[in-house]
Amino acid sequence: MSLKENLYLNFIKEDRYMYLVSGLGNTLLITIVAVVVGILVGFLLAYIRTTHDKTGKWKVANLFAQLYITVIRGTPMVLQLLIVYFVIFASVNVPKIIVAFIAFGLNSGAYVAEIIRAGIMSIDQGQFEAGASLGFSYTQSMLYFILPQAIKNVLPALGNEMIVLLKETSVAGYIAMNDLTRGADIIRSQTYSAFAPLLMAAAIYLFFVLIFDSLVKKLERNLKNSDH
Amino acid sequence: MTTDQKTPLIEVKHLSKAFSNSRHDLEVLTDINVNFYEGDVAFIVGPSGAGKSTFLRCLNRLEEATAGEIYFEGENILGNKVDIDRHRQKMGMVFQQFNLFPHLSVMSNLTIGPIKLQGISKEEAEERANKLLKRVKLEDRANSFPNQLSGGQKQRIAIARSLCMEPDVMLFDEPTSALDPEMVGEVLEVMRELAEDKMTMIVVTHEMAFAREVANRILFMADRQILEENDPVNFFENPKNERLRAFLDKMI
Ligand SMILES: Nc1ncnc2c1ncn2[C@@H]1O[C@H](COP(=O)(O)OP(=O)(O)O)[C@@H](O)[C@H]1O
Ligand SMILES: [Mg+2]
Repeated sequence: MSLKENLYLNFIKEDRYMYLVSGLGNTLLITIVAVVVGILVGFLLAYIRTTHDKTGKWKVANLFAQLYITVIRGTPMVLQLLIVYFVIFASVNVPKIIVAFIAFGLNSGAYVAEIIRAGIMSIDQGQFEAGASLGFSYTQSMLYFILPQAIKNVLPALGNEMIVLLKETSVAGYIAMNDLTRGADIIRSQTYSAFAPLLMAAAIYLFFVLIFDSLVKKLERNLKNSDH
Repeated sequence: MTTDQKTPLIEVKHLSKAFSNSRHDLEVLTDINVNFYEGDVAFIVGPSGAGKSTFLRCLNRLEEATAGEIYFEGENILGNKVDIDRHRQKMGMVFQQFNLFPHLSVMSNLTIGPIKLQGISKEEAEERANKLLKRVKLEDRANSFPNQLSGGQKQRIAIARSLCMEPDVMLFDEPTSALDPEMVGEVLEVMRELAEDKMTMIVVTHEMAFAREVANRILFMADRQILEENDPVNFFENPKNERLRAFLDKMI
C-alpha cells in the first residue's frame, strides 16, 4: 500500500478524519473547562491554605485542603477519572463530558492550588502590613495587593499547567470519551493500520503544545519587560 | 501648657509582649505604661533589639500584645470586639522598607485607601493626593511606579500614602534606616514639616540630632522597658539612667 493509499484509507475514506476533528474538539473543550474549574478550585484551596498559614484560622478547612491536595497529587489521573465516573456518578446519568470536566478540573485544582499558594507566599509580608496599616482587612489586602502581584508571578506556571492538562486529557478514553487519542485509536481499529492515525494524533497534540508554549513564553517576556 | 490635664490620644497601660515558639517565650516588652497626646512629637530611641519596633507595632496591632490595654481615642483597641481596621485608618504607619504597592502607580498607592475604605470619589481622592504629593515635593511623579523611584522618593511617597488617609497619629519605624546617606535628609525634611504642622507623631529612629531638633519628648527604651523619658534638652544634657548614658556615649 502506498503512502497515498494509506492516508486515503485512514483519513479520507468514510470521512474518518472526522474522528480526529471531533476528538480534538472534545480534547480542547475538556482542557479549557478543566482549566477554568481547576483555577476556581485551586484559588479556593490556596486561599484556605495561606489564610491558615498566615493567621492560624481555619484549621479544619486547612486540613481538608491539605488532604485533598495530597490525595489528588498522590494518585494517578486515570484512577481519579474512573472513580468519578464509576463510583461517584455510578447511579446518576451524567453526560461523560461533564464527568470529564469535573474529574480533570478537580485534578487540576490541586496542582493550581500549590502554584497559587507558592505565588502568594512569595509576596513580601510587608505588603500585608502596609495594607493592614492603612485599614484594609486581611481579605481586602489579599484582593487588592497580594493576589494581583501573586497571579502575575505565577501566570507562566499556570500556562504550563494547561499544557500538562492538555496531554493528561488523553486518558479520557478510559470512560469511552471520544477525545483526540481515542479518535485516532478508533481509526486504527477500523483500518488495522496504526502508524498514520497515531502519529497524526501525536502531531496534533504537539502542535497545540507548541502553540501554548510559545504563548506562555511570550507572556513571560511581556511580564519581565513591564516593570510593574 | 500642661499635657497632664488633657485626655491622651493614646494611653498604654501595662503593655507586655512575648514572642513564643514551641520551645520558649521571649519577653520583649514588660509592663509598659506611657501616654501620647495630641500634637506630641515623641521620639523613641534605644539599642537595637530593645523592642522599639515591637512596641510601635503593638500600637496598631500589627503585633498582638500579650497583656495590657491600649486606649486610642478613648477606646481600648486590644478588646476582642474591636474593629481594628477602623482604628488603623486613623493611625498611619511608615515602615523602614517603605512597603509601597509595586503594581500600583504612585497616584493609586495614595488613593486606593481613601477610595476603598472611606468611600470618597476618585476625583476627591486624587485632589487630596495631589496636595500631598506637592507637600513631599513629588508632584511630578504621580504616574510613576514605585520601582522607578529612588529610596528617598519611595519613603516620601509612603509618608504621603499614610497621610492620604488623614490619620490622627503617624507611627514611624526607622524611616531612614534603609536609605543611602544622601537620601536621609529629604525624608527628615518631610517629617520636620509634618511636625511643624502639628501632626501627632511617634518616631523610632537612630537619628539623634534630628530627634533633639524636632521632638518634644524623647523616650529611651532598653531592657524591655521605657527606662527614661525627658524633653530633648534634658534627655541629652542630663541623662539619669546608667544605660541611657552609656547609649548616648556610644551614639554621639
Ligand atoms: N516576630 C518575631 N518573632 C520572634 N522574636 C521577635 C520577633 N520580632 C522581634 N523579635 C525579637 O524581639 C526583640 C525586639 O525586637 P524589635 O522590637 O525589632 O527591636 P528594635 O526595634 O528595638 O530593634 C528582639 O530580640 C527580636 O529578636
Ligand atoms: Mg526595629
